[in-house]
Amino acid sequence: MVGKTSQEVLRRCPAACKCSPSTLLLALEEPKFFIPARVSRPGLNAKIGKSVTASVADLACRGAWRTILDKVARSRSLSLLSKPHEHLIYLTFNLLSLIKLRRYSDAQQELQTLDDDLDSKQYLFESYPDHYPNQKAGSMVPFALRWLHAHLPLTLGDRQLSLDRLYSLLHFIRDKKLPQNRDSISEVSLTLWKKRETFVVNTIISYHLSQKEFKVCLALLKAEISKNEDPLLVSQLGYVQMQYGDLDGAKRSFEAVEKMVVGSESGDVRLKNLVSRNKALMYLVEKDYISAVREYEECMERDELDFVAINNKAICLMYLRDLSDSIKVLESALERVPTVALNETLVVNLCSMYELAYVNHADVKKTLSTWIAREWLPMTLILRVLGFEVQLFEM
Amino acid sequence: MSGGGGGVAQQSAHSLAFRVMRLCRPSLHVNTSPLKFDPCDLLFGEDLFDDPIAASHLPRLLSSQSNPSSVDPSDPSYRSRFLLQHPTDSLGLPGLLVLPQSFGYMHIHTCSIFNNALDNVLVEAEIQTERQRILLLDTSKSPVESIRASGRYDFIVEHDVKELGAHTLVCTALYTDGDIERKYLPQFFKFVVSNPISVRTKVRNVKDITLLEACIENHTKSNLYMDQVEFEPAQHWSATVLKAADHSSEHNLLTRETFKEPILIRSGGGIYNYLYQLKFSSPDNAQLKVEGSKILGKLQITWRTNLGEPGRLQTQHILGNPITRKEIELHAVEIPPVIILEKSFLVSLNLINLTERVLGPFEVWLSESDSLDERAVMINGLQTTTLGEVQAFSSLKLQLNLIAIKHGIQKITGITVFDTIEKKTYDSLLEMERLISILYFEVGLFCGATNANLIFCKITSYQMGLRMFSGPWIHLWTTVKDATRRVPLYGRVSIL
Repeated sequence: MVGKTSQEVLRRCPAACKCSPSTLLLALEEPKFFIPARVSRPGLNAKIGKSVTASVADLACRGAWRTILDKVARSRSLSLLSKPHEHLIYLTFNLLSLIKLRRYSDAQQELQTLDDDLDSKQYLFESYPDHYPNQKAGSMVPFALRWLHAHLPLTLGDRQLSLDRLYSLLHFIRDKKLPQNRDSISEVSLTLWKKRETFVVNTIISYHLSQKEFKVCLALLKAEISKNEDPLLVSQLGYVQMQYGDLDGAKRSFEAVEKMVVGSESGDVRLKNLVSRNKALMYLVEKDYISAVREYEECMERDELDFVAINNKAICLMYLRDLSDSIKVLESALERVPTVALNETLVVNLCSMYELAYVNHADVKKTLSTWIAREWLPMTLILRVLGFEVQLFEM
Repeated sequence: MSGGGGGVAQQSAHSLAFRVMRLCRPSLHVNTSPLKFDPCDLLFGEDLFDDPIAASHLPRLLSSQSNPSSVDPSDPSYRSRFLLQHPTDSLGLPGLLVLPQSFGYMHIHTCSIFNNALDNVLVEAEIQTERQRILLLDTSKSPVESIRASGRYDFIVEHDVKELGAHTLVCTALYTDGDIERKYLPQFFKFVVSNPISVRTKVRNVKDITLLEACIENHTKSNLYMDQVEFEPAQHWSATVLKAADHSSEHNLLTRETFKEPILIRSGGGIYNYLYQLKFSSPDNAQLKVEGSKILGKLQITWRTNLGEPGRLQTQHILGNPITRKEIELHAVEIPPVIILEKSFLVSLNLINLTERVLGPFEVWLSESDSLDERAVMINGLQTTTLGEVQAFSSLKLQLNLIAIKHGIQKITGITVFDTIEKKTYDSLLEMERLISILYFEVGLFCGATNANLIFCKITSYQMGLRMFSGPWIHLWTTVKDATRRVPLYGRVSIL
């Protein structure tokens, strides 16, 4: 595993080449971003810079976290990175890979190589006039780095610190970035900051939700919805209401989503499926499992990649006492559409069903994990299956 | 997941086994850290696009983002595990259901372990508690014809648990498996039922309103959403729930109705209080003395947990305090501000008739329940005062001449009123506490410039009073006698 480059990985998985239309960066375009068009700096540094950051993003899309770690380590040891912002980007990807691989204390060490204050001068474009002669002043810290810095304490057991940092980050965005007028920053940047605000608020809601602090979640969700009536967000409000038991509230939320989607007539399959899945959940709580199964089947016909519908349909079948069919649904999903079906929840449900169906369920679960490991490399997925832990690594 | 108990040793001898799973409602999976990112947040400095030149490149790049439907499902790309499709993805609530992981309901089935087909299977399931056995399923009338090799027979039973304590679910099967003899397999699954909530009530009477405070405490491990908490009053009672004024009425933009704040009781000891105002309204009013009907009513509580899982509880009868209607009241109208030891004082009282009939005539005295030594105040004069009739809803004044025989802070108590017609005694109507002062003073008489020798003097009388700003005063009259005559002298002393 050590020393494998991205080229070798690409060779082994030719299909992967097709899926790297880097929504992120077109490799050829990259130099223009950091150096305005008037001044071009061709040369070795630029070339390496471009291929490196482009392919790192590519590897992330393929879940090749260990390869990323190797690449970063090699680039650092060979001093292939010339620009300060590249170091930061590499560090961010390194941190992300370590967290994805659940190596939290290593991630902590990586983070400690940075200055505590991410707003310090060394992370600003204007501190390096030689490298960025025409770049506008501002921070070169990738936003994800700030988020990872806030999230890491949770992984190490300090939820409170993570929550504090996230709220500080939210205030940072709201007080410093969003109020800026159009003269100082572009429209594009403002849109990005708004997206980041939503991103952080949703992370905070997720934290509170995992601790069942429902009232806070409701307040935050309602504040978000009043700013932007998004059908996905309102559906999630409905899910929260269902989770603590307010079925009437959930029903009202789902009806509102339906109105929004029907009204827009966009024909977006995902939104139609969202409405169907919400309807199915309402049937489920009324114990009308047959209608729920029908709705989920409609979803699957419209979009075969809708793994939520697949998973939930299997559960409904189980409640209809059709254990064998429910197992079949999940197993066939794993075979047909593994990239979406390989989801921790789906696999946990399948193992629960195995426990019920087979007396020798331990053997069956082992077969499942071996099959996953054999068929689906490269991939980083850790399955914690009722105490039966399977760790899968990228080759 | 499968309940405890269930003999492993029996499996070797039997071709059949029971597997049990509790079918609580599933729950919605929450993913705390999906770790999905927008590529702009990873690959560029956060302020990079402040520069309009850089910003102009971004839309072109992002438009080349691949359409998800063009992704080949068999392609080993894990883009969906890395890229943020929608900003709300970071909430981690996709609507995925997860099966319950802890023991609960009764989805039971039998599975055949060995290769033989089983014939004529009779399955029975029963719940046993300390007090009773309840049969949940009995297939003796319609036995399962056969279960094929490695096959299963599933059934679901539902049972409303009403008792507390240890329960045992007993599943038995009677079957034939290729041998001639019938085999019998019992399996036991034990679980404990405990109280999910406890209700504490307090009843308070304020004049003629009864207030009932109910405190609900949650003993379970999940939050309880209070769906309905209603007080069902007993006969002749009416109840209204009292709530704090809700000033924050948010109007939901979507549905345009007011969202009410959910009442959620936190798990493991959270509490919530409800307040009810109860009024008694009996058709035949005062005759029905409420001492008999102390039962106020019952509380009906319905709650829900995840995905609307319902729970119900009805309390036992809630008892109120017995109300005794007052018929007469005694008020003190006027009491002297300073009461001196062994000096009689007048107390004016008002007797009020609260009923709608004529009461009286009355006799008033100070009760003799205490011994003479302990009493501080006595009636000066006739020990019993007579009062005439008091009309319905009206009052009568009376005066008592009292004298204090002990000093210090003393209670004027024990005033007893006796209705001579109805032969009813009312005591403990009035109690006052007052300071009984002793006054003593020294008076010095000085002989003026006379040659007479003073032989005799005494204080003939004194008078006391109270002035607004200078306080109490006392006047003394004395006579001084000498050999020849008596001379009245007058002096004034102010007591500070």
